[in-house]
Amino acid sequence: MYNIYHTPLNLEIEDTFITVEKQDDNLLYRRFFREEEKNNDNLIVNNSFKEKELAEILLLNDDCDILITPIEPVNIPKPLSSFLLIEFNCPVIIGPGEKKKIYITFPVEIGVFFKNREGDYEIIDMFTFSKVKFTLYGSHTHGLICKYWASDVFTNPPETDILREGYIELDIINDSSSMMQIEKTVFNAYGMKIYYGDKRLAMKASLRIINKLLAETDFSTYPTTSRFKRSMELYTSRKLTFSRTKGIMEFGL
Amino acid sequence: MNLTDITEHVYPPSNPILMQIILVIVILFLAVVLAKGITLYIQRYLKDKMDKEKLALLLKLIYYSIIITAITGFIFPVLNIDTSGLLVAGGVVGIILGFASQSTVGNFIAGIFLMLERPIKIGDAVSINDNFGMVEDINILSTIIRTFDGLYMRIPNQTVFTTNITNFVANQGRRFEYSVGIRYSDDADKAIRVIKELIDEQPYALANPSPNIFVDTLGDSSVNLIVRVWAPATEWFDLRTKLLWLIKERLEANDIQIPFPQRRLWFPSDVNINDVKLSNVLNDDKSNISPTDNEQTENIEDMTERGK
Repeated sequence: MYNIYHTPLNLEIEDTFITVEKQDDNLLYRRFFREEEKNNDNLIVNNSFKEKELAEILLLNDDCDILITPIEPVNIPKPLSSFLLIEFNCPVIIGPGEKKKIYITFPVEIGVFFKNREGDYEIIDMFTFSKVKFTLYGSHTHGLICKYWASDVFTNPPETDILREGYIELDIINDSSSMMQIEKTVFNAYGMKIYYGDKRLAMKASLRIINKLLAETDFSTYPTTSRFKRSMELYTSRKLTFSRTKGIMEFGL
Repeated sequence: MNLTDITEHVYPPSNPILMQIILVIVILFLAVVLAKGITLYIQRYLKDKMDKEKLALLLKLIYYSIIITAITGFIFPVLNIDTSGLLVAGGVVGIILGFASQSTVGNFIAGIFLMLERPIKIGDAVSINDNFGMVEDINILSTIIRTFDGLYMRIPNQTVFTTNITNFVANQGRRFEYSVGIRYSDDADKAIRVIKELIDEQPYALANPSPNIFVDTLGDSSVNLIVRVWAPATEWFDLRTKLLWLIKERLEANDIQIPFPQRRLWFPSDVNINDVKLSNVLNDDKSNISPTDNEQTENIEDMTERGK
């Protein structure tokens, strides 16, 4: 599914269709949802479908490649915040000075990129099959609005539906001198590095606990292979070079 | 050798006044070019590193400092103005100007305090002295507001500084509240569950602080639920205007009705009611009344029968 496609393109993902068709000398990109048509009595009419338009863009180009890849999960419905807060369904306790590895899931957002002849990528559409929700981290006056996701905690890499969920390999380092309970983490999209293969979608991150009210999250790189590629990074491609890449959790764990 | 000596050396004093004017213009021009150049360079360097408003204030400060330095340091000697004399004259002029431009100076000082305290920022939705709108610009003497119906409004900074300011987007989240009435025959727990599920589907209804739904009052015609939802301050209005109708639709889809106001009338059996008149009134009104009113009408008819 996550791949580079040459136009014309006709792709079906779940009930969503992505097409890129020639229209005169240009290309028409469409993403639509097809559902069975119902009559006045609310009964399904056989072999009759109704298309619900989700996106339509005219590409003023007669030939291009289309890249479909995961993007940082903080863009839909609009990039309100660059932070992703993941709440653990089951709290985690770690002893002083210890370093442990856990796995948590994160929501997936899918980006559709247009690649022109010069080899430049430009995002033309993004969508998600995951639940979209926001939350407030910290106080009303100085806190952060974050994208919200609730995740189970795993001790081994979980099996996920890569259209909806990926997993984060999270190293928890307790630099404090007391036992710590962790219920959530906050990640900054500017540092995210998402990797994808045929069956897995993953990120590698660390959570360094400084004290009860302060922790720092950061992302690190996986070794990439031909079967495990790094996705397009939307935030770095916007060239916001002065943005901080780490997530500072100063309102508790 | 001071600046005047240099100018006398370079340009013979054939027409000293003309020379002075030319020199003043040249110095002023150079000062403006230098000030522009320096501020432009600083702006480029600090554009991504500093808050937009602080940067604008810093640039203005640097720009006017350069101009004032050029005037007092170079132009005054060229014009043979003794700056020590200016102190005395300045004092007198200051008093006169102080009285004449009291409000202007007041606005200027208030503008500086506003820039330092920053209760509002450009782009914020605010209410200043009961004027609602978006802050378009904060100048040194006045603040410009674009009201929600699109009007341009200039408010002097002194008014802004001394009046009540409500900034609707200063905090991250903002709450709104609905009162939703359901029938006495409906299950309030089910209604609360249905509304909670609907709110959970809304991206901008914040997960934390969580929404709060509870039975508030047992009203005359309905059981009243209070629905409290937090949303990001920037998305608050859109969600507030959208959600109430969605709640109504979702409740109806789950067989929970929002009732019309009802009043049950009981007639004592010994009261004589003019049957003809009442039935005429009822017949006239039946075509225009709602189903709930029909039930009420039936009740009245039943009671009329019993009254007989």
